[in-house]
Amino acid sequence: MTNQHVAGEHHFTLTERMRILSEGTKYDSCNQSAVCHAFGPDGRCIQLYKTLLTNACAGECTYCPNRCGRHSTRASLTPEEIVRITWSFYRRNAVEGLFLSSGIIGDAERTAEKQLEVARLLRSQGFTGYIHMRVMPGTPLYLLEEIADYANKFGVNAETTSSVNYSEICPNFDYTSDVLQRLQWTRDLIKRKRREVGYGGRIVGANDTQFVVGALNEPDREIIGTVDRFMVEYELRRPYFMSFDPVPSTPLENQLPSPRWREIRLYQTSYLLKDYGLKAFDFDAVYDDNGFLVDTDPKILLAMSHPERFPVNVNSASREELLLVPGIGPVSANRIIQSRPISSEKELMRMGIVVSRARPYIEINGRRQTNLSSFMGAGA
Amino acid sequence: MSLRVIAFMDNVEGVLLAAYELLQDPSAELLFAKDMDELRSKIAFSGTERELKAVGFRPSADCTTLAHKLLGKRTGRLSPRDPDVEGYISLVLRHSSCDPASLVRFICSCNGSADLLYSGKTPAGKKYYNYMRDVSRSYHRLSMFARPDLVNGILSVKVDSPHRIGDMFCRWLAGKNPDLPVAVLEKETAWIGNGRYLGLENFTHIRSSFLGSLNFSGAPDDIDDLWDVYYDSQMIPGRRNKGHAKHLQPKASSYISEMSARDRYKVERGISSCTLDNFTG
Repeated sequence: MTNQHVAGEHHFTLTERMRILSEGTKYDSCNQSAVCHAFGPDGRCIQLYKTLLTNACAGECTYCPNRCGRHSTRASLTPEEIVRITWSFYRRNAVEGLFLSSGIIGDAERTAEKQLEVARLLRSQGFTGYIHMRVMPGTPLYLLEEIADYANKFGVNAETTSSVNYSEICPNFDYTSDVLQRLQWTRDLIKRKRREVGYGGRIVGANDTQFVVGALNEPDREIIGTVDRFMVEYELRRPYFMSFDPVPSTPLENQLPSPRWREIRLYQTSYLLKDYGLKAFDFDAVYDDNGFLVDTDPKILLAMSHPERFPVNVNSASREELLLVPGIGPVSANRIIQSRPISSEKELMRMGIVVSRARPYIEINGRRQTNLSSFMGAGA
Repeated sequence: MSLRVIAFMDNVEGVLLAAYELLQDPSAELLFAKDMDELRSKIAFSGTERELKAVGFRPSADCTTLAHKLLGKRTGRLSPRDPDVEGYISLVLRHSSCDPASLVRFICSCNGSADLLYSGKTPAGKKYYNYMRDVSRSYHRLSMFARPDLVNGILSVKVDSPHRIGDMFCRWLAGKNPDLPVAVLEKETAWIGNGRYLGLENFTHIRSSFLGSLNFSGAPDDIDDLWDVYYDSQMIPGRRNKGHAKHLQPKASSYISEMSARDRYKVERGISSCTLDNFTG
């Protein structure tokens, strides 16, 4: 595909098109910290070249700057151009891979074919870097299977929590068949690929998806419930949250943007589901009356809402009990268990525990931080 | 007091063998060297006439078995990112402040518990764990922020780390670019990866002066400009998570390359929205 093929597209230089298409991806950049990044199996942060194939889209998603019919500058890159730019950045070590998404070129099948062309071309030229492909809802299984051969990570965005909500923001697709069915297929393909290549071969990333936060008024309780369900049903490992920003000339242009802290609190809650073994119902006491998270660390709120669980004795508590203590994460909980007996806060500090945060919730050999009520003689 | 001196090579095998010997004879003295020549000169300099047991200078031991014998099996991984015992020792030895003899004594003090290497419970454990993390962090930062140039067909980069990680980085860069020869210049040494393309061993090192004809000017080229266009295009100023951005592009790493210095500058000062077009109308 060349830039002349898209209706209404003017001639732009390669640099201009690259800028336009990279800008088209910035709204779903998690954390807005640097350029798009991922984490390698060694825990190292790797930068990715993130681009759209084209921002000319047949979809009418109500929140999206690329929705069809919206007056905006349209551009596209050919697979060869994307491959050339990726190689240039890759050789200079500015990136370690490609994150490829796209507007919908006609339908999901044609779009996936074009995305596949990029991946195929890169791999045929000996590219060993990371390839992440966001596929469109409705991508056929046979193309997903081929994408799984080339990409390290691939997946489809759920965007929201239910069919009703989905039909409101993405009217061209069906939540059950175009999204949930694809999540199930990607789960199965990832499993199969991992069996084939093993962990010593190339990276096969876990199932992931993205939610647009704040485009509809679905409460956080619903989002967290969906994430938890997806973790069980689709082995979702990593949910991404994209804060809604109203885009001019879209049906949601007059809606308020979602506050940035909401995205951060949702990420924190998702880590508690992912790494701490908590379930969605554990957070019932954390939400406000309308089911939304407040701007405080959900783990601290969780601890404060269950005073009967504390203090925990660091020398006898189970891993699950330790994990509920603010300031103690999975690694530090392991360290505590392997290093018992612990005799002082200094030892905990050396192990990486945030003692200032954990102090009110722990006791070491019967000693704990005195609270005001016990100081006043009202009992512990 | 023992009259024995345990001389060992400062590599993983040497350290493990020396720890094994020291456990048999706790009062022995330790002496380390990077090769036999250095060992001979150290012995000549000290003038010692004690019984000398040299270990690790000829590869002979199975490090994994030896590590298990000395430290037992780890009861569980404390952190999924932590390397195994051999990887741990290898990283610690690369640290600029590491004294291999103290490391051997620390390993002996673990009383057969590999977990003590990782838990940070004791001050010495914390020190060596931090050494391991320092080196691994330096290596990761090089992998993240070094920007090699293609000079005379060789992907070349100069590194300036206090720790001895040039070879690690060269192996990584060569693995990432298997179709190109790569050169990593670390002080007086040039590490060469994929050397078969240059008629050398596949992984080797030569004196850096040998690569003197290479030009490491690092002058900005088209890719630098293209990168700036891409980098700038990714930002929504009102949504910038500056704290996290600083964490991902630490100041301490911005010296590694001009590109990363520019990225760090943008994290601190923001991206200017003023361009030449504003003046030319």
